[in-house]
Amino acid sequence: MSGRVLEAGLHLLDRQLIDVDGRLAGKVDDLELELPPGGGPPVVTAILSGPGALSRRLGGRLGAWLEAAANRLRDGDEDRPARVSFAVVKRIESAVDLSVAKRELETNRLEAWTREHLIGHLPGAGDAPE
Amino acid sequence: MKRLFSIALGILTAIGGFVDIGDIVANAETGARFGMSLAWVVIVGVVGICLFAEMAGRVATVSGRAVFDLVRERLGARVALVNLVASFFITFLTLAAEIGGVALAIELATSVNYLLWVPIVAFLVWLVIWRVKFGLMENAFGLLGLALVVAAVALWRLGPDWGGLLHAATHPVVPQGEGHPTWWFFGIALLGAAMTPYEVFFFSSGAVEEGWSRADLITNRLNVYIGFPLGGLLSLALMAGATLFLEPRGIEPGHLSQVALPTLLVLGKLGLAVLLVGFFAATFGAALETGLSCGYSIAQYFGFQWGKFVRPADAPRFHLIVLLSILAGAGLVLTTIDPVTVTEYSIVLSAAALPLTYFPILVVANDPDYMGDKVNSRLTNALGSVYLLLLLVVAVATIPLMILTKAGS
Repeated sequence: MSGRVLEAGLHLLDRQLIDVDGRLAGKVDDLELELPPGGGPPVVTAILSGPGALSRRLGGRLGAWLEAAANRLRDGDEDRPARVSFAVVKRIESAVDLSVAKRELETNRLEAWTREHLIGHLPGAGDAPE
Repeated sequence: MKRLFSIALGILTAIGGFVDIGDIVANAETGARFGMSLAWVVIVGVVGICLFAEMAGRVATVSGRAVFDLVRERLGARVALVNLVASFFITFLTLAAEIGGVALAIELATSVNYLLWVPIVAFLVWLVIWRVKFGLMENAFGLLGLALVVAAVALWRLGPDWGGLLHAATHPVVPQGEGHPTWWFFGIALLGAAMTPYEVFFFSSGAVEEGWSRADLITNRLNVYIGFPLGGLLSLALMAGATLFLEPRGIEPGHLSQVALPTLLVLGKLGLAVLLVGFFAATFGAALETGLSCGYSIAQYFGFQWGKFVRPADAPRFHLIVLLSILAGAGLVLTTIDPVTVTEYSIVLSAAALPLTYFPILVVANDPDYMGDKVNSRLTNALGSVYLLLLLVVAVATIPLMILTKAGS
């Protein structure tokens, strides 16, 4: 049985990631493919998201600058973009729904930093919206 | 009953929310220099904004994706980034112009120099965005903006030669002593003011903020199709007032007080007071919309959490962008650059950038992946395509005309 056919460029790239709580969690900036060790066709293993992945797609001087900035912000030792394993992808429609919470993703660091160091200090930052 | 109330409220809010500093300046200046000969552009602009705001609202309602999501998705990372830089810059200029406009309105009421009000206005804009519920914020300033109706009342009380005004509007002639390029340039400014891109950024993001569902599609339609044209009528009332009072006297409104002159002369100080409330509400409301739109556009391009429907701590980057934009906007006005000049540039550059925003909306509104059975009708597509062609011509012509006419001076 053949399922729905997706074209990566048309149906996947640049789409919104939404976590299990309905929170916005970045874009599908790039895809990671892996060639299985035993041979056979490559499989999509992860969504790459955040400035590290975006910078490589932008290319040029701006891309290089953004990549350098992204590498500096990363606390890991590897210079690679943040990954969202394809195993946590629940559904692909006008957005890509994930089956995990945003805080568990490595794409969440910049947001957490901004909250902890800047916006979280303003009075009322934690108040419920409605 | 409750539904009826919410629809009526939405329409009233859309009327008051339609007019901002760009519409006030563009309509008064055009009326003062060209009479009613460019009134048709306001109608073209209103039909255009109705068409695309309805589409953007429908896409956001059905798919949950606001306008800059679509820009990114349809244009790809690179082209969308160019679009983002242009759109953000224009929205930021508009924000600065609105902050200046609020300060000028308060200056007119208090006789205290507007520059002293700028920091206070900027703080209040931020405070409202930070604390006040989205629905309350939108309704309060939209309804208060209805005070601008007093300009139409003044016009009616004056009992002008309606037939003459209508004739001038339907038989456009470039006035003696004005060149054709200048006339077209002001036409483009009017179109830019009516179709400013931030309006659809805000409108579509607002649909997500308020959690619209398919049941709200009718509200979307009525808000747009009734509210915006009535807002356009308010713009035309300002233009007609300037035609009758400023054009014969050779006054070119370089300040908000001159825009208020017709109302003051006909209705006296009370009329002026009501008009100033309208100016204040319209520009303050638009400052909120542009401030939020600065955050919406960047957040939607990068995909990070935005909106007032979550706690501020849960959308930290969005709130940081909004805060910095307001600070920088206030800073720009505090350089003592004339807010009216900032307004003029913001609407003309808007006109040049219109296809960047409206092309992706038209494409996605036809994508069943996003829209299911709510894709555009044939009529909407035909109209949308005609408009897109028109906007392309305008975009190409804007900058050469700006240079040729020395920005209309």
